[in-house]
Amino acid sequence: MIDTINELRSSALAEIETVASIRDAEELRIKYLGRKGALTGILRGVSEAPPDARPELGRVANELKQTLSAALDERVAGLKAIEEQAKSAADAPDLTLPGRRASQGHLHLVSQVTDEIIEIFAELGFQVATGPEIETEYYNFDSLNTPDDHPARDSHDTFFVKPGIVLRTHTSPVQMRVMERAKPPIAVIAPGRVYRVDADSTHSPMFYQVEGLLVDEGVSFSDLKGTLMHFLKRLLGNDVKVRFNPHFFPFTEPSAEIHVEWTSMRGGQPHTRLLEIGGCGMVHPRVFEYAGYDYEKYTGFAFGMGVERIAMARHQINSIHHFYESDIRFLEQF
Amino acid sequence: MQVSLKWLKEFVDIELGVDELAHQLTMLGLEIEKVTRPGAEIKNVVIGKILEIKPHPDADKLVVCQTDIGESNPLQIVCGAKNMKAGDIVPTAVIGATLPGGFEIARRKMRGIESQGMMCSARELGLGKDHDGLLILPADLPIGADAIPLLALDDVIYEIEVTPNRGDWAGMIGVARELAAYFKLPLRLPDATCLETGESAESFSTVTNDAPDLCARYVARIVTDVAQAATPLWMAQRLAHAGQRMVNPTVDITNYVMLETGQPLHAFDLDRLQENRIVVRRAKAGETIRTIDSEIRTLRDDMLVIADAKCPVAIAGVMGGIDSEVGENTRRILFESAWFAPSSIRKTARALGMNTEASQRFQRGADVEMAAWACDRVAQLASQICSAKVASGRIDSYPAPTEPIEISLRWTRTNALLGTVIAPDTQKAILERLSFKVTNSSDAACTIRVPSWRHDATREADLIEEVARMYGYDNIPATVPRVRKSEMVYAPEENKTRKLRRYLVSLGLTEMMNLTFSSPEEISKAGLGTSSDNLVMLQNPLAETSSAMRPSLIPSLLNAASLNIRRGARRLHAFEIGHVYRPSSTGEDQPSESARIGIVLTGLREDEHWGREKSIVDIYDCKGVLENIFNQLRLTPIWSSFNTDTFTVGHAAKAEIDGVSAAWYGQVATDVLEKFGIEQDVFLAEVVLDKVLCKQSENVVFRPFSSFPPSMRDMALLVDTSVAAETLLDNVRKSAGKLLQDVRIFDVYAGKQVPVGKKSIALSLIFQSQERTLTDKDTQKAWDQILKSLQEKCGATLR
Repeated sequence: MIDTINELRSSALAEIETVASIRDAEELRIKYLGRKGALTGILRGVSEAPPDARPELGRVANELKQTLSAALDERVAGLKAIEEQAKSAADAPDLTLPGRRASQGHLHLVSQVTDEIIEIFAELGFQVATGPEIETEYYNFDSLNTPDDHPARDSHDTFFVKPGIVLRTHTSPVQMRVMERAKPPIAVIAPGRVYRVDADSTHSPMFYQVEGLLVDEGVSFSDLKGTLMHFLKRLLGNDVKVRFNPHFFPFTEPSAEIHVEWTSMRGGQPHTRLLEIGGCGMVHPRVFEYAGYDYEKYTGFAFGMGVERIAMARHQINSIHHFYESDIRFLEQF
Repeated sequence: MQVSLKWLKEFVDIELGVDELAHQLTMLGLEIEKVTRPGAEIKNVVIGKILEIKPHPDADKLVVCQTDIGESNPLQIVCGAKNMKAGDIVPTAVIGATLPGGFEIARRKMRGIESQGMMCSARELGLGKDHDGLLILPADLPIGADAIPLLALDDVIYEIEVTPNRGDWAGMIGVARELAAYFKLPLRLPDATCLETGESAESFSTVTNDAPDLCARYVARIVTDVAQAATPLWMAQRLAHAGQRMVNPTVDITNYVMLETGQPLHAFDLDRLQENRIVVRRAKAGETIRTIDSEIRTLRDDMLVIADAKCPVAIAGVMGGIDSEVGENTRRILFESAWFAPSSIRKTARALGMNTEASQRFQRGADVEMAAWACDRVAQLASQICSAKVASGRIDSYPAPTEPIEISLRWTRTNALLGTVIAPDTQKAILERLSFKVTNSSDAACTIRVPSWRHDATREADLIEEVARMYGYDNIPATVPRVRKSEMVYAPEENKTRKLRRYLVSLGLTEMMNLTFSSPEEISKAGLGTSSDNLVMLQNPLAETSSAMRPSLIPSLLNAASLNIRRGARRLHAFEIGHVYRPSSTGEDQPSESARIGIVLTGLREDEHWGREKSIVDIYDCKGVLENIFNQLRLTPIWSSFNTDTFTVGHAAKAEIDGVSAAWYGQVATDVLEKFGIEQDVFLAEVVLDKVLCKQSENVVFRPFSSFPPSMRDMALLVDTSVAAETLLDNVRKSAGKLLQDVRIFDVYAGKQVPVGKKSIALSLIFQSQERTLTDKDTQKAWDQILKSLQEKCGATLR
């Protein structure tokens, strides 16, 4: 009898283990545990066994019943999980299809670079100032120590609206407008459009500059160098190589041009050149006279730089005209 | 200014490498724009002698030459030049030679005749721009010798940007002087003494200076018995390397001395001057002169001229007259070396639209003391090259010799301005090396005298710059200053604009920046009026199409739409924040300008996507952007209809805030689209930025919200199609009582299911109380009130 039970155990467990569907598993349940099932028959036969063997037989048979029941439950749960997985897999979405993105807007590259410049100077304590694009000759030239007969005016091919009124050729007139409104200390940064009668692949008749002005007691040329070095490191990386070479601007003395060494890849080869960033210098005492400042007490520095030039180098843009043509294939790249 | 290294070395013993010198010049303020080695690419060009010239049998414009290059047989060369004759010495490129640009000479047939090389023009050898004929060389050059050293093609040419303050750098001596000062080297000037063999200069001519305010000095020298000659090769090379065109020996000599000294000179044919004399005077108004470029110039009475007894013979410092020009037959020459007032020269040159080598130098300020030396030098060269006899003495009209100006420099001021510690002795030595004469020096300061060629030095700051330059900008430390903060806010609107720009980008719009130029035609095309009276016009536009400053962003937006559609864009959602310009309304000279936002929408509403229906933008997309902007700025505008030629009638509206127009939008009219070459719907909006930014409320006050549940009811109505949605909503808000939290239109329909002339509008109403949970009775009461009001005021019926 015990042998029969053990045989039943091994054959039933083997069957349960290999059963392939939930329905077949339920049939096995009936086959072994149902009213006419094999185990049920054995349990019935217990009463016919000799009395001293009955408790042991009963225990073993009941234990087998529980074992088989548990094995079936486990097998059914396992089969259920497999069936569900198969069903999910069958109706899985194609996750390589593109998702529903929000339409993406793009800030103009000139705005991006200008904002970066402003942020760096704002951290140093500079404030944004502005001025009109259509300027008087007084603010654009005369008050910046550039009278009408000054040859420096030749380098500014100027658009005239009428005698005395021009499209500003640089952002420097903002210097004088700020100094007329305020007293030192002054620390401003002035972005804006400027205009020159000039159009080729590197010149646009309208372009962007950022002007800076710091006026206080004890401001020196070394402060100018340090400020611009700090700025250029933040903008272009700590290992940027900067060159300040003497230059001439009527409204600063001493004056300098700012260049950085710029390496870009050309045909797979690194190509290094000097990139002109802008001009700078110590505010000319004559300019302070126009502003009504005491140039013995106050000194200051000023600088101006071209925004597109920085952007063109950094992003390897071949023509300045892309900036102002409004082709979205350009605008959406940045 | 093109500076030849070989020539430079005549004045100062520079021993630097080519690139090192370029760097050093730049660091002194003489910015190098380009370094060229004219002969670097040239190979196998030799000295040749033309033995024979015969016409080409099959080509009128070609000749066949036999040219001896010192080998057993002469080369047969087919040539198109005309300026040579048999016996001339010319640079000859043999087979296998290379010329600038990598151009290689090969054996080839020209119209059936074999050509075994090429005879070269000056330009073909990189010697200047002359390409009128072959470069004819002096007769004594050795036939067959390598032409490169003989033509000084192994030179290095530095192209220098001469800043407007340094007239002295427009001459070789000035550049050499700067290097000598920096490297503490002696400056060698050539001897300019000339052998005076003629009678006194005054016996040939006189100079009357009637305008000493414009001509501080006028030096003249007379040479006679000028013989025909050729410009020597060494001079021709230098002129070529300096980019100077060759004219004739006398003019070449004056140009050479100008390049050497920076002092422009002029040669007059003495025999073509009326009464052989010079009068320096202002022109008479309307007086004319034919200049050497054959143009007739009409003069103003503030212009300085050099005249003879009768009429102008030169526009002083700008250009000579053709009638007194020196030529082949000139035997007696008056050389002029003068100092003209820079501002006068500049005004004259500008008024006449003339920009010459002479005017550029005079307007930067010439060296009044150099004038005499240069005049001697030019006479000396004339006697050497043209075998001329030099009359004794100069004619020198120098009524009030210029006193050198004096400037004081405080040693401490230098260091304060530069942020350096430069010892007084060092400062003093620097100034002295630069020929600033120290007349007085103490522990605190010094006084110096400015040399005659340094017009730029007028005050202390200028001397400090000299110290800085010579000390070296690289040696000045870099310090980051502690910036003292000011309470002043200079441009509050600019900071707001920067935020707004980013907000618009977050709405999915792409920022563009357009040129701010427009034209009356374009403005009229855009339906913005036809009068140019209220436009800001440019006096000197680049083109007619950019002759005005835009009075609106609309033309820019239409151009952008047109360009992108033409180039295949399927979707354009873009904005610009920029200025528009109008003549001042208050009569001021300075036009007014104000900032606007421009928005353009056309094409697809969203990028194409497999998971949504393709749809095209409509006017509500455009209005929606404006509503977003006003919402962001927390402004509630009043909308009303808007009629302009730009937009389709009935398809445009404007927004007012406190009675001021703040924005408008609409669908662009078909005829406007046509004029911009657009064949699809375009929607535009403009916001008057300064009008809305100044209204923006700064601070939002928190409104507590209810903790009781909201109750939502819908209401479907039928109304006449003429009833505006805004009217319905207004009535809802006014009649609902305080329980209404929000009302939205969730459906609008007109069509088959609705009677003709009616539309169906469905409202979603949200009721909520701050104090309690609402009962059905509460909401029904409010709902009934609303319906009653809509029935009475809007003729609405429940659907």
